[in-house]
Formats: sequence, C-alpha cells, structure tokens
Amino acid sequence: MSRFFRGGDDSSSESSSDEEELYSGDEAEPKVAKDVAVDSDDESEEEDEEEEASDSSDSDAGAQKKGLSRFLLDQESSEEENSDAEETTKVKSAKDKRHDELDATIALILNGQKINDWGSIANEFDKLNRQVVKLLDGGKAPKAYIKCIAELEDFMNETQAKQKVTPKKMNATNARGLNTVKQRIKKNNKDYQAQIDAFRKNSDDFMESDEEEEKPAPKPKVRFQDFALDATAEEDDEGFATVGKGGRALLFTPESIFKHLRTILESRGKKNTDRLEQIKVMEKLFEVAVTPYQKIRVLMTLVSARFDLGSGAATSMPLEHWKASERELSTLLQILEKEKDHIVIEGAEEWEDDDKPPTLEGGAKYIKVPGSIVSFIERLDDELTRSLQAIDPHTSEYIERLTDEGSLYNIIFQGLLYYEMLRKDATLEVPQDSLNRIIQRRLDHIYFKPSQVIKILEENSWKQVPSNIDSSITPRNETNDAGQLINTVCSYLFENSEGIIRARAMLCQIYFLALHDDYYRARDMMLTSHLQESIANFDINSQILYNRTLVQVGLCAFRKGLVYDAQNTLQEICGSGRQKELLAQGVMIQRYSQVTPEQERLEKQRQLPFHMHINLELLECVYLTCSMLLEIPLLAQTGSSPDVKKRVISKTYRRMLEYHERQIFTGPPENTRDHVMQASKALAAGEWKKATHFIHSIKIWELMPDTDDIKAMLAKQIQEEGLRTYLFTYAPFYDTLAVETLSGMFELDSRKVSAVVSKMISHEELAAALDQVTETVIFRKGVELSRLQSLALTLSDKASALIETNERTLEQRTQGSTNAFNRKDGRGGQRGGGQRGGRGGARTGGNTQRQAGGTQFTGGALGAAVRG
Amino acid sequence: MASTTTNDSVSVADYDLVRKLAPHLDRHMIFPLLEFSAGQLVDEETGDIKDEKKAREINQAKFALLKKTDMTDYVANLYCELEGLKEPPTEYADRKQKVFSQLEKYEQETSKITELLAQDEVVSNLRSDKVANLEYLKKDHNVTIEMVDALYDYGNLQYSCGNYADATELLYRFRVLSTDNDKVAFATWGRLACEILNMNWESAMEELQKVREMIDTKLANNPLAQLYHRTSLVHWALFPLFNYDKAREPLLELFFSAPYINTIQANCPWILRYLTVAVITNRGRAKNIGVQQKQMKDIVRIVKQEAYEYQDPVTSFVHALCIDFDFEEAQQQLTTAEEILRTDFFLVAHADDFVDSARHLIFESYCKIHSRISLKDLSARLGLNAEDAEKWIVNLIRDTRLDAKIDSKEGTVVMNHPPSSVYQQVIERTKGGFFRTQVLSAAVAR
Repeated sequence: MSRFFRGGDDSSSESSSDEEELYSGDEAEPKVAKDVAVDSDDESEEEDEEEEASDSSDSDAGAQKKGLSRFLLDQESSEEENSDAEETTKVKSAKDKRHDELDATIALILNGQKINDWGSIANEFDKLNRQVVKLLDGGKAPKAYIKCIAELEDFMNETQAKQKVTPKKMNATNARGLNTVKQRIKKNNKDYQAQIDAFRKNSDDFMESDEEEEKPAPKPKVRFQDFALDATAEEDDEGFATVGKGGRALLFTPESIFKHLRTILESRGKKNTDRLEQIKVMEKLFEVAVTPYQKIRVLMTLVSARFDLGSGAATSMPLEHWKASERELSTLLQILEKEKDHIVIEGAEEWEDDDKPPTLEGGAKYIKVPGSIVSFIERLDDELTRSLQAIDPHTSEYIERLTDEGSLYNIIFQGLLYYEMLRKDATLEVPQDSLNRIIQRRLDHIYFKPSQVIKILEENSWKQVPSNIDSSITPRNETNDAGQLINTVCSYLFENSEGIIRARAMLCQIYFLALHDDYYRARDMMLTSHLQESIANFDINSQILYNRTLVQVGLCAFRKGLVYDAQNTLQEICGSGRQKELLAQGVMIQRYSQVTPEQERLEKQRQLPFHMHINLELLECVYLTCSMLLEIPLLAQTGSSPDVKKRVISKTYRRMLEYHERQIFTGPPENTRDHVMQASKALAAGEWKKATHFIHSIKIWELMPDTDDIKAMLAKQIQEEGLRTYLFTYAPFYDTLAVETLSGMFELDSRKVSAVVSKMISHEELAAALDQVTETVIFRKGVELSRLQSLALTLSDKASALIETNERTLEQRTQGSTNAFNRKDGRGGQRGGGQRGGRGGARTGGNTQRQAGGTQFTGGALGAAVRG
Repeated sequence: MASTTTNDSVSVADYDLVRKLAPHLDRHMIFPLLEFSAGQLVDEETGDIKDEKKAREINQAKFALLKKTDMTDYVANLYCELEGLKEPPTEYADRKQKVFSQLEKYEQETSKITELLAQDEVVSNLRSDKVANLEYLKKDHNVTIEMVDALYDYGNLQYSCGNYADATELLYRFRVLSTDNDKVAFATWGRLACEILNMNWESAMEELQKVREMIDTKLANNPLAQLYHRTSLVHWALFPLFNYDKAREPLLELFFSAPYINTIQANCPWILRYLTVAVITNRGRAKNIGVQQKQMKDIVRIVKQEAYEYQDPVTSFVHALCIDFDFEEAQQQLTTAEEILRTDFFLVAHADDFVDSARHLIFESYCKIHSRISLKDLSARLGLNAEDAEKWIVNLIRDTRLDAKIDSKEGTVVMNHPPSSVYQQVIERTKGGFFRTQVLSAAVAR
C-alpha cells in the first residue's frame, strides 16, 4: 500500500493506521485502501499526485514495504522528530482554533444524538475525523474527541438495540447515516482503543489529565511512546524548518541523504507539505552528495518535487523552478552519461537499505535506479507549454519564455541519446515505447518550424554532446538537413511504433513537407495514410494535428497555384466556420450550447501556444480567394440557365457574397473579406483588372514567402477565370466573337485564349465552335432548352441515379462478389486524383465515367450474381 | 534527318527507360533490351559502331548481367571481347564443366519421373488432387518428394543455362506434382519467364493469368508484397503486350483494373508511356468502342495526375492535346515521341502505328472544336503536305463518318456540328434502365 495515497485530509484513522500496525500487523492495509476510496472529494487532485507518484522512482517503494521495514522507518523518522521537538515552539493560536472547531463539531454531534438525526451525525463525524488529524499530538487524540467518539459508539449501540425491538422503521436517510457511522466508528475507534479504554475506565480522571497532555510534551509519556514513534507529515516539516533556520547544515551528511529522501518522499502529496522547504533541503542534499548514486537519487527526487509545485490543473510551474529543474535534468543526464554503470530505468527494484548504498554485485552490470527519464522530460515539456499558454503572446515575456525551448530541446535530445544507449544493451529490455515517446517529443518541437530554425536547434544540441557520441537513429552527419532529419525521425517512428504515435509521426512529416512547399509528396502521403477514415477515432490532440496538417497542405497547394486543390482541402476546416476551435487556436464563444466548466478547462488546456499558430486571417483570405476563383465562373455558368440544378462549392462564400450584395451602399474595402467580396463583384462583371487590384491590395499576402510570385499567380488565375466568366455571361448576346478581341480584352496570348475556349467547348460548357480561318468563336444558337425539356433531362438523370442506388444496395446486401469489391477499390483510389483532378474537365469527365462504370458494372457483378 | 538525330539523341537518351525497367525484369529478359540498345548504335548502312564508349558500356552491362547465369560460353566470349583476350580464362571452362555435371546429375534424378509421366497408364491414374497423386506415385512407383523437388532445381538450372523450352517443360511437371505452395508459385513465375523468352505468347498469357490470380489470392494479406509482385507482372507483361496482338485487349484490361492502375501510379509511372501508346494505337482496332473511349479517358486522367511525377514526350502529347488543347504543342511532342518510339525496344514496331493514330486523335479533337479549318493549316499540323492531307482527310471522313465537307475552292474543311437533340439525350440516358432494372429484379427474386 503506497503511502502516497494518503491525501492530506484523510481521516485520522488513516494517519494513525501505522500505529495500529504495530499491534496488528496486517489488518491495516485494506482499511487504508477503503479510506482512499471513500475520499472522493480530492479524487482529482489525488489522481494527479498518483500520476506523479508512479512517475517518480518510488512508487513501488511503498508497495514493497512490509512489516519490518516499515516499522524501522517509523522509528527513524520519529527519532529525528523527537530531537527536533525539544526546540520546537508550537504555534498555539492555530492549534487553539482547531480545537475550537473540533468542539463545535462535537457539539453538533451531540445535538444530532439528541434528536436522533443520524444523517447529520454521519456528516459531522466525518468532519470530526478530518479535523482531528490536525490535532493529533504525537499520535494521541484530544480528550474531547475521545470522549465524543466513545459516547457516540455507546449511543449507536443503544440505537441499534432499540431498532431491533421497535417495529417502526427509520427513514432512509437516517438508516443510511446510522450504517455509515456504524462502519466508520468500528474502524476508527480501534485506533484509539487504548485511550477509549482509559476513558471508559475512569472518565473523570481522563478528562482532567487533559490539561497537561495538551501541552507540548518534552518527553512523551511511556504509555504513548509507541504512538509518538510515528511521524506525521506536518511535524516533519516543522522539524526541517527548524533545522534550516538553526543553520544545522551538518545534519546533511552524505550518509543521511537517503533517510532525508525517504522522509521527503513519504510526505509527498500530503496537504500541508511545504514543498518549497523540501526543495531547499534537497538542494542542500545535492551539495553534499558524493557518490553518483546519491546524486542521481537526490536529483530525481528534487525534480519530481519541483513538478509537484505546478500540479494544479490550471497553474503552471513557477519560472525559476522550471529553469532549475531543466538544469537539474541536464545535470542528471550528464551524470548518467559519465557514470555508465548507473542507469535509471523503469521498473527497477527499489533499493531498500538506506544505510548502505547499493554496490555492483557479481554478474550485475549496472546499478539500477528506478525512475523514468522520459516522463521527466515529457513533464518538463508540458510545463513549458502550459506556461506559454498562460502568457500573453504579445509581450516580451512570451518571447523570453520561448527561448527556453532551445534548452528543452537539448534535454530532449540528450534524453534520446541516453535511451539509445540503454537500448543498445538488450538485457535491459528498455521498452520501445519510451524511445518512441521521446522521439515523438523531439518531433513535436520541430515539425512546424522552418528548416533554418531546425538547423540552429540541431547544431546547438550537437554542440552539447561530446564529439565521440553519435546517435544511431539520427546520426550526426544526417541531421544537417532539416528535411532529412524529419524524414529519418518519422520513418523510424513509422516502423517502430503503432497507433497514435505512428499516425502523429506521419502527420508531422506531412505538415513539414507542406510547409516546405513539397505539395505532391505531402498530398500523396496524406492520401496513402488513409487517416481521413480513421482520424475520428483518435484522441482530440491528434485530431487537431490532423486539422493543422490539412490546412497546411491546403495552403501549400495555394502557393503552388493549385486553386482547385487548395479550395477542396481547406473546405472542410474553413467551411465549418469554426477554424479557431478546430485548430485549437482559441476558444469559440458558444452562444447557445451550454459548456460545463470542466469542458471549458479541457478546451483551454488543449490550446496551442501562440508560436505554433497558423495565421487564421491568412487562412481565411486564401480560402475566400480560392472560392472566388471557382465560384464566380460557376455562378456565371449556371446563372444563364436557371433550370440547371445549382451546385454550390462553398456555402460560406456564397453566404458572404449574398450578404455583400444585399448591402445598399458599399464603402471602400476595409478588411480581407471586403476586399475579396468586392473583387468577386468586379470579376463577375468581367472587370478583371479591378478584381486583381482588389486582391493585390490585401495586406496579408505579405506574410507568405515570395509574395510577388503569389500575386502574379493570382493575377494570371483572375485573368483566365475572368475570361471564362465573361464567355459564360455574354455568350447569349453574341453570334461571333473574335479571338483577337478577347485576347486584347484580357491581355492574354491569343493561343492561350483559344486553348481556354477549346477546353470549354470540348467539355461542352460552351455551345460554340472555333472558325480557324477568321479566328473567331461562333456561338451556336437554339441550344437553350425549354423548361419541359430540361425537366425531362433531370428526370432521366434521377432515374438512372435511382437504378444505381438500387444496385449498390443490392450489392451491399449480397456482400458483393469480387468484382464488386474491385470496383469499390477503384473508387477509393480515384479519390485522390479523380475528384481532385481538373476543374471543369474532370467534373464532366468523372460524370460520364461513372455512368459508363455503372453500365459495365451491370454486366459484370450483377450479371454474375444472376448467373451464379 | 541525320542532323536532327544528333541533336535529339541527347534528349531521346534522357527518356531511355531501360534503367528504370531493369530492376523489375529478370536477367534473361533484360538481355534482349540490351541487345536492342547495342543494335541502335550500329549504323544501318555502314555497319560501323557509332559510339565506341557507349557500346563498350553496354557490353560491360551485358557481362555483368549474365555473369551470374550459367550461360558460360557466351559469358566467356563476352569476357574475351571486353578484355581483348583470345582465349577465355580457364575458370570458365571449369564452370562449364561444373554446369554440365550438374545437369547430368539432375537429369538422372529426374529421369524416373519423366519416364513415369510419359507412360499413359500413370497419367491416366492422376487425379486433380495433388496430395492423392503424390500418394499414388509414392506407393506404386517409389517417387519421393526429393525427386519432385529435383525437377524444380533442374528446371531452374535449365533456365539459367538458357534452355527455356526444357525449363518450361520441367517446371510444368513439377507444378503438376508438387504440393509446396511457395515453390509452385516460383515455378509459375519461372514458366511465365520461359514462355515469354520463348515467345510462346499464348501460353505466356495463360501463365500470366495464373500469376495474377496467385497475387490476388495468396498475397491478399500482404499489400506490400502484392504491390511488388504486381509491379513485376506489369513489367513482364510488356513483352506480350507489344508482340502479340491478341494479348492486347486482355492486357489493357488488366492494366486498367483498379489494383494494377494503382500499382502503376504508385510504383512505376514510366509504364504510362507504354500504356498510352497501347491505348492510342488500339484505336479503331478495338472491338468495343465504348471500352476504348473509357480507356482513353482514363489515360488522360492518369497522365494528368502523374504529370508531376513522370513526363515524357508521349505523355506530354496526351497532356497537350487532351488537357491543354494546345495543338501546336501536341504536334511538337508528337515528333519527339516518334523519335523515342523508334529507340524503344517494346515500341519500335509500333511507331508508325502510333503516329497515325495520334494524327487521327488530333484531327478528331480539332474537328470537335472547330467549325471551319483551313486545309493548309491542318496539313501543317498533321505533318503532311497539302495534297496528302486532303487525301488523308477524305479517307478519314469516309472511314469515321465525320460530318464534314471539304470546300476545295476556299481550301477549307467545314464541320457541321449538329447540336445533340434533347430527345436523343433523354433516350440515351434511359436506354439501359430497363435492362438494368430487370437484372436487378431477377437478382432480388433469387
């Protein structure tokens, strides 16, 4: 039973359970366990601490403690305490206050007894037990408390006896209260049995002796010596505090280090522990530590104690402590690097003997210290993120804090080297998982950075390590190039891990590729990963990473001038109108739905620190511009024939456009959105120059690398789309149109114009033909359908769609044949290209193709189904 | 013409695919490719070798290629040629001896089975159940597993020596008897190789089909191996694709089936050149015009998708013509493509065919878009003189029943594009509906 489980305010029974153990060795354990279970108030906090406990080296320690060792331990600590106690002057006032509280509670219990209200008695009893813990004087409870519980027990027995006789039942609350009290009191009173007996024997005498026993006893009475042996947490602290003030530094000798550590570890997680004090003590301990074993042990305890400082849910660790622990971790790693025969490893056996340090025994290669470096590093990383979340990103403080990332990266790097070293010895059985975790952390720090920055980070960390050490996973000479580094790291993770880490590694690599303009590789990886199908099953942080990656791929496509692909990729994130939330870059104010504080807290925890953000305004700008380039020609195309079913590419864009059009007066554009909207209007009217002007005057393009290229690309796109829009809009009003004129209007090469026109004709978007001799476009007349005709066409479309749906349903029912599955595969494969492919071309092409596929399918799969 | 070749030879060499194809082919199959490359270097008229250095390189490649095979005599000769020796070193003689002794050894080991399989009564007793067959042979004729395995090894050796016909026979026998799945799989691949090298296209197609099934079924749970095997199969299939006309349609169908087209896109985009040529030359020859059109559409789509990964004049031609509608560019690409075709082992026989079909393609899409074309311009575009072009177009109009007329006086071709009637459209769309519904209802009723 780990002693960490003792929450600060457990009932007195618990803290005294050790005394109990002196009498009845093994009974205490289940009891303590129960107490923990009961103690639900502090569950969340305890869980935190529990986590810490298991992280730290000594979680197993408690578990392995059995009878004798525990006994010994208690003695040790109490000896110290005794010697300290002589000098201690106790603060009376606080204690008196507690006494008063205790009395008040007792009065309430008595009251409850009078009116036979077991419900309130049960409550008060719990409270009483909590209060009394603080008043335990050398393990001995106040008289008043003893009196109260003794009487309560009597009263309870009485009530129960009565209950058996009277047929009248108690109400539910009362009965429950009675039961609770009954169970607790039995357990509880056992601890104070001696005192209670004394009280029962002679209540008056007992109460009279009250006075003197409340005083701090210079020498504990013989009767209570056993109790006094136990050291409670608070007194430990006081003891140390005094020592510190008294300047008795001599107390910290290399020999006593382990004893100190032990006591500190034991007090960990208790409520009134003064952690700062402990940290000071340990810092001193580190100074006196001589052997590497001692140093390692002290450092590990010290670092975990520092982490305890920031164990609240929202607060982050104080800055100086973060820095200190970063230094200490670094020292720890250096020591480990130097002392090859000492290793820190998860699941090593705890060294029980505090008096003599472990030595290398015959055959053993290492002195194993239980602990987990990777957890320390992860925690350090998390704390930095947390503090970055809390700092206002527009202050210099943020930038200062951000510089710590470099040193953190160094630590991660050293940790990685250390684990690689451990992995080399197969006998240690270092789990692959730890290595993966640490590599993942490293990746997390670099994937979103430009390669120059990564290079600097890498150079710094390589400087730290002596030149004779190399990393087997990321060799020194291979890490000069950021892309190569990312590639090595990611492929390592991809081969050696599974599940979330694997997926994350993939996403990080895609993100990096997209950031560095390697669009096709990024896209192909995104498609082959098949993450879009399974991402919903991952944890939220991975989903956020997925969204970020998706957005980055979209932006990359845009930079490459692939408007259609960019729009398609960004659609899902930007079309939702919840970019902030999806990218974890801010909490949306939710107007209608109720969010519990818990959810809100979690949401806040997930937020990315500012330096990782993707610029949302830029994102919106890109998305809207892409939507404009696709939507405006489409609107012009469908605008002339109202019967064609309206296809919408981006609802968000359409809504904005409608809103913009409803405005009676439009001023000069102010923000990005205005610019794009006015550009759209101009483009729709065929004024491509004006549109280009509007788009170019958007300031945010400056944030993109190669702004001029982007602008040139946009101008070109606008020209082309302007031509298409113009043709769509004004085709009904012309009989012929000279290519020359068009080329003059849009300042395009006449070859380009005829290519665009040819494309439109070939895809049957435009009812026209080119006359080569006169270089004109001849528009065909009489192709407009009557309403009835277009309805007939729609009907026939719908009918064939219905048939296809039916076939597919049947296919699913019959589980299909091999043919049917092949067809499905084909669809999946095509998704990458087919749908993403050309704009107009692939669209119509895809349509007919699907129909063709459909008919063929009838002959194939279903035909076989009939025959077979 | 001669001057252009020297200029273009650099660019044409850039598109030489032998290096890319080689890793996916068997040693014995690379050999003809190298022979062809060497043949390219020989000037047709004088018989001189144009590029000494390159010829030597090829010879070296040949030597490296065959070193590991057991065609000792040939290797020895090559070695002499390379080193300028008169007599081959003795080690080759030793090796030759060794190979012969091994051949003899296997011959003896397998003689019994071979005899047995030649007897009618034994063969008539064989059933389709391999295990039972083996039992039967064991019981009645003392055939052991080792003997069966010897067949396999013998076949392997024969293949290595270049005796493909013997090898295929041995492997066939082995496959009939063996129950070892892995070895049977290897034997199937081996037979495919033998048949290809023997140019027995019909049986090669059978083997190909077997290999394909094997990949689909046996490797279903190992996608990576599947990909790898499919890549090889695609490469091997190039031999029958361009040498055996009857194989063309089934093979195109194979290439366009989802798993294989994915393989090509993912692992070996250079196959697109062959696929494109095959599809384009298949025009008019195909029985089913619908299938051909679909394949054309597919190839356009894939060429577009893979443009960032693989480009050569052949795919660029498709890209220019069907995606950009840039006819001038298409014309240019066509000339380079022709050059390339003439230097490609697989495509050399189809170069003329391809150019002709490509012209058709250009003309067709040109007509689709234009309503009036000047003859002069068109002939330039097709790379023909005016008179030939006129003839060519007249033939074309007659063959394809294009709705076009030549205006001789103006020197133009006038197209008539009748707008597709709405009624026709509705009929088209609803045509298959009844049949499909019938099939559907039949399937449901069953």
